[in-house]
Amino acid sequence: MRWACILFPQLALDGVLRHREQSEVPLALISGTPQRRVVHALNPAARALGLKSGMSLTAAQALSTAFETAEYDLGAIERWQAFLAAWAYGFSSQVSLHYPRALVLEVESSLGLFGPWPRFEARLRDELAALGFRHRITLAPNPVAARILANAHDGLAISSQSELHERLGRMPVERLGLPRDVATAFSRMGLRSFRQVLGLPRDTLARRFPAELLRHLDTLLGRRGIALQCYLPPDEFDARIELNFDVESNQALLFPVRRLIADLAAFLAGRDCGVQRFSLLLEHRSLPDTQMPVGLLGIEREADVLFELTRGRLEQLEVPAPVLAVRLVARDLPEFLPERRELFDERPQQNLSWERLRERLRSRLGDEAVSDIKARADHRPESAWQAGEFRGSTEALPSAQCRPGWLLRAPEPFTEGDMRILAGPERIESGWWDHNDQCRHYFWVETQSGRRAWVYRPLKEGGPLLLQGWLS
Amino acid sequence: MSGYAELHCLSNFTFQRGASSAMELFQRAKQQGYEALAITDECTLAGIVRAWQASKKVELPLIVGSEMAIENGPRLVVLVETLEGYQNLCRMISAARGRAEKGTYRLLHEDLQGSRSGLLALWLPDSTCTLAHGHWLKSVFADRLWLAVELHQGPDDRQRLRQLSAAAAVLGIPMTASGDVHMHARGRRALQDTMTAIRHHCTVAEAGFRLFPNGERHLRSLETLVERYLAELMAETLQIAQRCQFGLDQLEYEYPHEVVGPGHTPTSWLRQLTEQGIRNRWPEGITPDTRTQIEKELALIAELKYESYFLTVQDVVVFARSQGILCQGRGSAANSAVCFALGITELDPSRVNLLFERFISRERNEPPDIDVDFEHERREEVIQYVFKRYGRHRAAITAVASTYHGAGAVRDVAKALGLPPDQVNALADCCGRWTDQLPPPERLREAGFDPESPIIHKVMVLTGELIGFPRHLSQHPGGFVISEQPLTTLVPVENASMPGRTVIQWDKDDLDLVGLLKVDILALGMLTALRRCFDLIAGYRRRPPLTIANIPAEDARTYEMISRADTMGVFQIESRAQMSMLPRLRPEKFYDLVIEVAIVRPGPIVGDMVHPYLRRRNGQEDVTYPNDKLKKVFERTLGVPLFQEQVMELAIVAADYTPGEADQLRRSMAAWKRHGGLEPHQKKLMERMRKNGYTTEFATRIFEQIKGFGSYGFPESHAASFALITYASCWLKCHEPAAFTAALINSWPMGFYSPDQLLQNARRHGIGTLPVDVRYSDWDCTLEGPERGGQPSIRMGMRMIRGFREADAQRICQARARAAFTDVDDLSRRADLERRAAEQLADAGALRSLAGHRHRARWAVSGIEAQRPLFDELPAAQEIKVALPLPTAGEDLQADYSTLGTTLGQHPIAMLRSALRAQRCRSSRDLRNIEHGRFISVAGLVVGRQRPGTAGGTTFVTLEDEFGMVNVVVWRDLCERQRRPLLESRLMKVEGRLESENNVIHLIARRLYDLTPLLTGLDVRSRDFH
Repeated sequence: MRWACILFPQLALDGVLRHREQSEVPLALISGTPQRRVVHALNPAARALGLKSGMSLTAAQALSTAFETAEYDLGAIERWQAFLAAWAYGFSSQVSLHYPRALVLEVESSLGLFGPWPRFEARLRDELAALGFRHRITLAPNPVAARILANAHDGLAISSQSELHERLGRMPVERLGLPRDVATAFSRMGLRSFRQVLGLPRDTLARRFPAELLRHLDTLLGRRGIALQCYLPPDEFDARIELNFDVESNQALLFPVRRLIADLAAFLAGRDCGVQRFSLLLEHRSLPDTQMPVGLLGIEREADVLFELTRGRLEQLEVPAPVLAVRLVARDLPEFLPERRELFDERPQQNLSWERLRERLRSRLGDEAVSDIKARADHRPESAWQAGEFRGSTEALPSAQCRPGWLLRAPEPFTEGDMRILAGPERIESGWWDHNDQCRHYFWVETQSGRRAWVYRPLKEGGPLLLQGWLS
Repeated sequence: MSGYAELHCLSNFTFQRGASSAMELFQRAKQQGYEALAITDECTLAGIVRAWQASKKVELPLIVGSEMAIENGPRLVVLVETLEGYQNLCRMISAARGRAEKGTYRLLHEDLQGSRSGLLALWLPDSTCTLAHGHWLKSVFADRLWLAVELHQGPDDRQRLRQLSAAAAVLGIPMTASGDVHMHARGRRALQDTMTAIRHHCTVAEAGFRLFPNGERHLRSLETLVERYLAELMAETLQIAQRCQFGLDQLEYEYPHEVVGPGHTPTSWLRQLTEQGIRNRWPEGITPDTRTQIEKELALIAELKYESYFLTVQDVVVFARSQGILCQGRGSAANSAVCFALGITELDPSRVNLLFERFISRERNEPPDIDVDFEHERREEVIQYVFKRYGRHRAAITAVASTYHGAGAVRDVAKALGLPPDQVNALADCCGRWTDQLPPPERLREAGFDPESPIIHKVMVLTGELIGFPRHLSQHPGGFVISEQPLTTLVPVENASMPGRTVIQWDKDDLDLVGLLKVDILALGMLTALRRCFDLIAGYRRRPPLTIANIPAEDARTYEMISRADTMGVFQIESRAQMSMLPRLRPEKFYDLVIEVAIVRPGPIVGDMVHPYLRRRNGQEDVTYPNDKLKKVFERTLGVPLFQEQVMELAIVAADYTPGEADQLRRSMAAWKRHGGLEPHQKKLMERMRKNGYTTEFATRIFEQIKGFGSYGFPESHAASFALITYASCWLKCHEPAAFTAALINSWPMGFYSPDQLLQNARRHGIGTLPVDVRYSDWDCTLEGPERGGQPSIRMGMRMIRGFREADAQRICQARARAAFTDVDDLSRRADLERRAAEQLADAGALRSLAGHRHRARWAVSGIEAQRPLFDELPAAQEIKVALPLPTAGEDLQADYSTLGTTLGQHPIAMLRSALRAQRCRSSRDLRNIEHGRFISVAGLVVGRQRPGTAGGTTFVTLEDEFGMVNVVVWRDLCERQRRPLLESRLMKVEGRLESENNVIHLIARRLYDLTPLLTGLDVRSRDFH
């Protein structure tokens, strides 16, 4: 068996950079508590400014302020690793996520299809470059050796056991994947390379170090086997790109969307399936996400085809607010059979789900005609509720004492002359923080016709009574 | 129009709720024509002294009270009617605070049942209350209960009033109006909302209904109140206010009685102890002058009834002495002859000409102030002694009301307004940590903010309002209040965050105003070092044990050393700034040290007093005085005001201040930067000085100097005590450098310098240093030798091994005392060492004599097998010997630094010297022989970077090489241009111009180079001070 290891030396950074059009802008990934923010990873442009990983953000800013920052997100790293595993699954059925920020895959059995190795390797590199991930690739007779050699090599392919011994022997002890205290102990004993360690009598090592050490060294040299858990692809695709600035034009959304679709296509190829329906979600600062479902006539998986279709939809879409992030979700991933044609459409047409009812109402009455109402804790009546995306939720609104059930969309002058004041004034004075400071006296009044109205007088501007709502 | 007294009002001592200070509230209430104002902070009296002050100032009666919520019960306001009621309230608050975590309280029903006399209660019905609450309160307070009607233009105030009236009728209790006041004026609404958000750890927008719906909770005008409330309700407030006649001036504080011997009065007992002390201090008899002074002091103490205070301090000092804990008093009354006799200070009054009246005065209504410093590692013993002697109920630590400074305020406000964390941090960086001023717009723009934008504008306005507000109570570093009666008869007591300690709710300024006396029990690292040094010397010198008092005074060699600025490690005068002053000042006598201690401080530096003093001292400028009266004040400092006391005396002599006014001036000086308030003094000082014939120019200059002094002016009384410790440490450094260095390292961390720097300095003075070795080293550094009166060598202790534990070292020493170790196995078995400890010893080179070089020692240590008690007698299985590489010099150096933080081998720069010479770099030793003004290069390890606030953006870099230190000055524009080499270099080369004057050598940098790559592999830590 032969195993390849693909190491991603800057997975977190690539994960962020591939969403940016200008990757040469200095960028630092930051982690840590709000009190102590630490620089975690850097692109070359940022390194050129003198930033170093491990530095506190304050120290980094003392050096320069001309760099951008993004959050160092462990969850994202795992997601990227899983994404890459899904991609690699297209080349080998034995892909392992055993090592963080790396993949090991069995390639002997795939050589017939993609080989010989140099050609295979070149293909892997091409695709990874297109996906935007920096990488190192090594090939060795066992997965552990492949992974360890990748610590110091790129492009090294070892086929024989003796060559493996020779190469590993030259490796410094710090890079052998040993527990830190063991590596430190070796260096404190003056042992710098693997060869020096191997030169020691086995029993002296057994006496001094935990049994795992000898086991690790044996697996490394191929004297012991290792059972790696293999990757199983997930059943759905869900990926998200956070934009580093507010995007207002649909045109500017095309770059991230193209990325997402390329990722989807890579995922589909790895899993050997296709997609017929997926949705694109555009996230805004304060508004709910804009949803754009994309349905296809048939099952597809070609990135270009998917992108062209999506682009068509996207260009027609009216986006209500700047977009902060884009997310692509594909849940239904049927087997991909390119030659199949839909001769008989067997889908039932009778049952209308809520979703479809909503869609139908929307298409008849217009998108804005259907929405949900949500309560918000705010003293200002017009801010105390919010129309949201219709989700068909049945959550009860908190009962508001002394508030009318029917609030006007916008207050209007109250013209009824004769009225009786039932209660008030109630003073509402709030909202200075969002440029909408209100200061009003509210009254409940009863009109001549017996209707009860909730009216107010603005105290700052003065003017006539304004009607806010009716008791319904 | 009917009158009104506000009975429910929070000040900003209800943290994160009250949005106005007591002064603002009182001024406003007075303006609005209120008859009285209650301050009812939530379950606290921490702000009551301030409220009392404000009430006196604006002449509006204060009602003392507190708002509280009973656990699972009603909320109420408790108002104090009489002294007994006040004491009950203190007990209630102490009980409620005592059973809860710091900053919170749990008031139980039973707390009210026991202690309610002298208290009136207002029930605050809220949405969760029930009639049962009312019944219960009535059963407790009977006819001293009211139902508080608080109308704030809610949805239907009339309806609410009807409901409350019905409840009151059912219960048969009267109603009164009150305001639930949270701010003095409606304009504080935004700040109040912001504080609410801060309290709930959310943003203002998220706070929702936790915010008040409007700004009605302020001190409303009488017209408005008349509109809102029925006349009866208003009238009732006056009735209640009328009944509350308690004032804080009724409190009676008494000193503890037990410090007075049986059958004695405080006066006679102080006399007896003083006479005893005189016999000890002056066995050969006392001079008539000193006798006169002591009599004068005793008379003054008796007149002001301060005997018990001196006796209390003496009692603590006697305890410390009995435990062998070194201590030294300082402060206004500490440096008196009486205190010397009592042992409170070691400073012989004849050594300095300090007048007692200068520190304690008849007219100045200021309590005496004695701070006592103790060895920092043993102060806790003293604190626990005080608690044990007087009991927790009679002794407690003073509080400190921590206030919002710029950075903290902007951080909280920006968070509440929803700014993201990185921007919050960036804004906080724009404000200094301790300044109370808003950052200027340029600074904001530099950091990428637009000061014009509405959000930043809001942040700045609110921050400006929040700065100076109290934020939480913490404990004073060592201020104790001790009383004869339980403290809860005076003030509520809380738990401190440190277990085993209790804290009163008042801070130092409050105590002064109420007349409580406090004793400061402080910690000082140098005292620990001095005691250790005395102990070490006693081990090899045959002479009476040294003490601070019997160290030979006025020793010429010591002053010579000080004048050379050879003062690394000594107390106070070891910083770079101090060191560059010493050769110019050239101290020759004790009083010069007092000045030296005081002069290198921000006050004199900002006030531009340093250079005039130096010029006068060196005869470059004439010493003149405007007249003889001022000559008396300023003669000892050559006409330049250096001490706080001189400013006060000046005001008295030249501007006809009374001592009381002078004391106010001192307080305003300390606070003007934060709160302003110097203006009235400016006017008064200038006018009166002109009247007394001083020129406007002179008066203006004096006033500017006072302003520059600000909060940094240093009192002479403290400087004198510090100078004594400085002198003692200098004498030891001069005469017993080995013991002094070892003692400093054993007391580390303290002072400016690392053990590495101290050891290098000792070696440069010819002191031998010996490596850590398990066969000889103790936990502490020890001394070996000396031969014939010379200096012993320093044996490095195991404490220098990073991460090594003291208990392991102690076991090694015990096992070694029984028999010497034969090998690593023997050591590990008999000292019962874990593998990790043995490895640390091996890596540190401490096993050299048992196992050979580091690599072999580590190999040997890792081969030790777990103990096999059954087979103990059997020889361990023989192992084949393996060959391990010998460590290189570089590896040894690296290991030395990473395990010990120092090396006894070559200095890293010495190893690089030839490479540096090729770059034409001079060494620090060369600099002494290069003339002023030459353009040269030097290189060294960067051991310090400082950018003092007083230096206008200049950075001071300290480089170290194998011969010593080089001081580099980097002007601001170079800092900007060469940020990276400045901040990143660990090994730096500097090209620049040499400035050499009076043996003070600086290099003015023109260009910096980062040579760090030459050092690859070394662990050298720079100590940065920003």
